[in-house]
Amino acid sequence: MKVIGLELYKWRHKRLFLMVLLFLLAEIGWAFAVTRISITRNPDQAGWEPLVATISAMNGFFLPILTAICVSRICDMEHKGNTWKLLYTLSVKRSTLYMAKSVSASIVMGVALSLQALAIVAFGIVHHFAPVPIWLLTRFILGTAVTTLVLIALQQWVSMAIKNQTFALTLGMVGSFVGLVADLLPSGVSKFFVWSYYTALSPITSVYADDKLHFVIRDSSLLWPQMAALLAVGMALYGVGSVHVARREG
Amino acid sequence: MLRRCISAEWMKLRRSRIVWILIILPVISVWIGCANYYLNQEVLTKEWYSLWSQVGLFYGEFFLPILIAIVCAYMWRLEHLNQNWKMMMTAPISASHHFLAKWIVVSVLLAFVQLLFLGLYLLGGKWAGLASNLPEELAGWLIRGWIAAVTIGTLQLALSMRIRSFAAPVGIGLCAVFVGLGLYVAGLGMYFPHSLLTIGMGVLSQTSLSSGNMLLFAVMNLFYMAVILLVAIYRMCKADVVA
Repeated sequence: MKVIGLELYKWRHKRLFLMVLLFLLAEIGWAFAVTRISITRNPDQAGWEPLVATISAMNGFFLPILTAICVSRICDMEHKGNTWKLLYTLSVKRSTLYMAKSVSASIVMGVALSLQALAIVAFGIVHHFAPVPIWLLTRFILGTAVTTLVLIALQQWVSMAIKNQTFALTLGMVGSFVGLVADLLPSGVSKFFVWSYYTALSPITSVYADDKLHFVIRDSSLLWPQMAALLAVGMALYGVGSVHVARREG
Repeated sequence: MLRRCISAEWMKLRRSRIVWILIILPVISVWIGCANYYLNQEVLTKEWYSLWSQVGLFYGEFFLPILIAIVCAYMWRLEHLNQNWKMMMTAPISASHHFLAKWIVVSVLLAFVQLLFLGLYLLGGKWAGLASNLPEELAGWLIRGWIAAVTIGTLQLALSMRIRSFAAPVGIGLCAVFVGLGLYVAGLGMYFPHSLLTIGMGVLSQTSLSSGNMLLFAVMNLFYMAVILLVAIYRMCKADVVA
């Protein structure tokens, strides 16, 4: 707990939350503008489903690069300040230091996802959608959170193992690209890319039929095994990353 | 002295593997754009123009600005490490030469990226079986795109010089992409570096620029480059470094 507290203390002048907030504003602003246009054109589709589907698709593009930037900033401060040696001489396990970085990155992304969820609810209430679908939103938040946690594990490993942050950010950018086009790829291919799960774990999917876009609620029993498998991949990435970073020279 | 500074910058990049990053991102953009074009040929009927709209959208609108931000952050990375700022500022080289050398190297790298993108676009077109003539605006899109990319590069170099973190200028650059998109939609695209790239590369609208707009495009790019270069060099001369 103390290590996590110190990790948070390191950010006090970094304006990390301000950057996340600006990013989130850009994403939410764009998603809401798209949804508003869609509602104006098809008033019968005014509901939570198109909103959640749009945000899920936008998350596929925005969150991989945002996660890469946040994790890179949290890890790069130790590379830049040459503080790894200092940290490794403390009476704290390397795995604990790794976990503290992971938890602090999760806190930042957790705040971002909570703000996003609140913004979705506020948009729905302002536009007089049906009562807030708690279960649908919970599934959406869970899916987004699990995918983000796995991405944090992946990005943290890269950011800590490779001093040059160019590679971590390029990976984030490639991830954004994959997240953006995930729905265009065959499902047999896209399931191997972590970034595609922002849309794959979304409780809403869109189907084009009768010259019209329809939004369908996915069966939750299909999503749970996928979510569990993804979480297992995330834990494996975290474990391998933690061991790899702990064993190398500081 | 400037030539020696430029060759020093090249030496710093020698084993950086930055070239791979410069190659990977245009390749992915063009690959996905071509696949999208190939799968939707019944809707996208304007051959090379349609292909440009597909490959150029992701490349020019999102990935080129981020690529520029990453390259510029990389250019200052070594200076922010191991007290190198102090060593650099005590060398008998003027601040303007330090900054201009990086600026010239970034401009050359961006020209390489644009040429690579052109090559990939032509290859993609051949793969998709396009037989018509190439768009006559193609050279204009690429050159104007390069000019706007250099303008964004100037801004990103100044940001990366000021901010020690590698990722923060990249994040700011990405936020600027959306500001640029908003200004472009609002009809104010000529007044912001990131929307100048959208206009220059004909990403969202492939109609030729009028001569008046062409002049405004050139003037705005020159204005941004000159102002940012002057401010950045002035800051290097006056402000103390944090190593």
